[in-house]
Amino acid sequence: MELQLQQLNKQYGTKRAVDNINARFVPGIYGLLGANGAGKTTLMRMICGVLRATSGAIYFNGKMIQELGEKYYTHLGYMPQDFGFYPDFTAREFMLYMAAVKGLDKKKAKFRTEELLQMVHLQDVANKKIKCYSGGMKQRLGIAQAELNNPSILILDEPTAGLDPKERVRFRNLISNFAKKKIVILSTHIVSDVSYVADTILMMKNGRFLLQEPMDTVTDNIRGKVWEVLVDEQKAAEYSEQYSIVNLHHENNMVRLRIVSEDAPTADAVTAEPSLEDLFLYYFREEIWEEKSHVNKI
Amino acid sequence: MLIKYEFLKLLRKKSTFIVIIVSLVLTAFLFGLPIMQYQTYHQGGVAKGKKGIDYEKEYYLGLAGPLSEEYITKTILEVQQLFQNPDHVGYDGNEKFLIGAAYWKGIAPREKLLNMIVKAYDRPNENSAYDRLSDLDITDGANFYRAMETKMEALLNDPSRELSEEQKEYWSNMTHKIEFPLRYGYFGGWEIIMSSLELLMFAILAICIIIAPVFSGEYQAGTDAVILSGKYGKTKLVTAKIVASFLFGILIFTLHMAVAFGLPLAAFGTDGWNLPVQIANVTIPYPFTFLQAALLSIGVIYLVLFAMIGLTLLLSSGMKTSYLVLMVLIPILFIPMFLTPNGTTGTYNLILFLLPYRAIMPEIGKYISYQFGNLILDAFSVKAILYTFLTLIMLPLARLGFKRHQVV
Repeated sequence: MELQLQQLNKQYGTKRAVDNINARFVPGIYGLLGANGAGKTTLMRMICGVLRATSGAIYFNGKMIQELGEKYYTHLGYMPQDFGFYPDFTAREFMLYMAAVKGLDKKKAKFRTEELLQMVHLQDVANKKIKCYSGGMKQRLGIAQAELNNPSILILDEPTAGLDPKERVRFRNLISNFAKKKIVILSTHIVSDVSYVADTILMMKNGRFLLQEPMDTVTDNIRGKVWEVLVDEQKAAEYSEQYSIVNLHHENNMVRLRIVSEDAPTADAVTAEPSLEDLFLYYFREEIWEEKSHVNKI
Repeated sequence: MLIKYEFLKLLRKKSTFIVIIVSLVLTAFLFGLPIMQYQTYHQGGVAKGKKGIDYEKEYYLGLAGPLSEEYITKTILEVQQLFQNPDHVGYDGNEKFLIGAAYWKGIAPREKLLNMIVKAYDRPNENSAYDRLSDLDITDGANFYRAMETKMEALLNDPSRELSEEQKEYWSNMTHKIEFPLRYGYFGGWEIIMSSLELLMFAILAICIIIAPVFSGEYQAGTDAVILSGKYGKTKLVTAKIVASFLFGILIFTLHMAVAFGLPLAAFGTDGWNLPVQIANVTIPYPFTFLQAALLSIGVIYLVLFAMIGLTLLLSSGMKTSYLVLMVLIPILFIPMFLTPNGTTGTYNLILFLLPYRAIMPEIGKYISYQFGNLILDAFSVKAILYTFLTLIMLPLARLGFKRHQVV
């Protein structure tokens, strides 16, 4: 099974949201990381066939998805970002409706609905209207509907947005359970969401893939560029202005900083084992800096 | 399954329930108003509402039967005899009229019948009352049916109607299909129904309001991405949405029709269903009974409804919110209400008669016809063809609109 993106572009007026993307996906979990506005959602919508590419093509097992039509959608499960529900439907009705949209026969639809509602721990509230659900419950229902047809390609766009840490952990475990023998593309801007589950990391910025690397080796790119220093508070403030700070930890009267930098910030700085978060900061320091200054202005 | 769930989506909304209730109450009020306001005058005063209806009905059921030349001649003669006694006659400077018992016993119980007879002898655009019968020369009999034919011919040849020779021939052929002698009887319920059908526009609007979010509601709620990426999202689901909208529209509209027809027929009775429409107006060219005319009108109204559902779905598939859909739809439905025809020919009038609000008015007495080369079609046929065509055009476009929708 293979999903291929070939010179994929999406242009809105003068803005290129997706810029000449080439990628090949085989079964596994792909963590698609990028700051807000990087083009992740646009890319996912094109993969799901709900947004036309300006140019380029998407192939599933060697055939263009437009040619495959319904056959392609049979293999697809999609959980869009912030997607709405029918507030007056119960979770069970919503699942059965989605099962019908996905072309499941009545018997299978009922079976999968009950099975998935149980898996996402919504069985006890399955007859309650969705308008009574919390954000976390809705997200769980969202992934359950994406799994109804046991898809070969599972696209999850910011599935953990708005969830508390406990819900996020539960969600990650769910994704891991669902991911076997599937192509799972999980987009997020929360690094920890993918660091535990992804096999491959894709980093997207300004509509382009900055890197496509296996999880095991992805941080090799910044090996020797992550530093830890112990400084006083005044120095820490100075460093915050000069460097990309991944972490800041107060220890008595001192501050331990984790810095991503090409060069050692001080002579006594020691290199640290790079993490995915460091990598994210390394590539998106400008965006994060902009966000930080925006928050400071507010 | 998909149809069932699409149907449920429409039905489950609180707003659907509110719109249906408001619309049904409005329809009941509008069609119930003639019953509540109905009043018949008699020598002892006035009988209102159901009492008035029962009072009048009793008299008119007594008049039921064929309107033979002999019967009409006798009826006219009776009126003339009443006018011969100066004690029975009043005069207001313009017209003479019967007074006292002569009116209450000789005219009032059959005034509608007398007015109908008079119409046959009136010239086009003339509107006389029963007193006109007093001067009528009936020495060789009333010759009512000849007068009726002459009147229709005069109407067709009236220069203000601007009918072509082909159109005149078309209507003339149609009037020849009317069966004589006409049969008379009570038709109060049908008269109310036929004159109030345009009020069903509110029911059509209610249905359009309910189905406006069928496609745009998905865009608005953000459910479009997930359903369009489903196997049947761009195929069977679209069909299911259209079918559910039509089923819903038909069901709700039929409920309104039941109220619109049920109330007058319950109060006035179904009497008259098999009587010719000419007993309400002798110049109506269609050779129909009241039931036939009503069924034909209902048929056209349903076709208008279908086209309006089609238009709503088309707009819904292409617009981001249901409010935008209604902003386009409401003027289309109601602007024609404020436009008055100034005749029955000419582009303006002929288009106006086809616009939704006017299209659901039967207007069976207006000789409205459309000429395409040598082909003449009456208003019913043109409305039926036009609205069927519009429905057939708009549904595939609505399908395409949703299918090609881009989630941005």
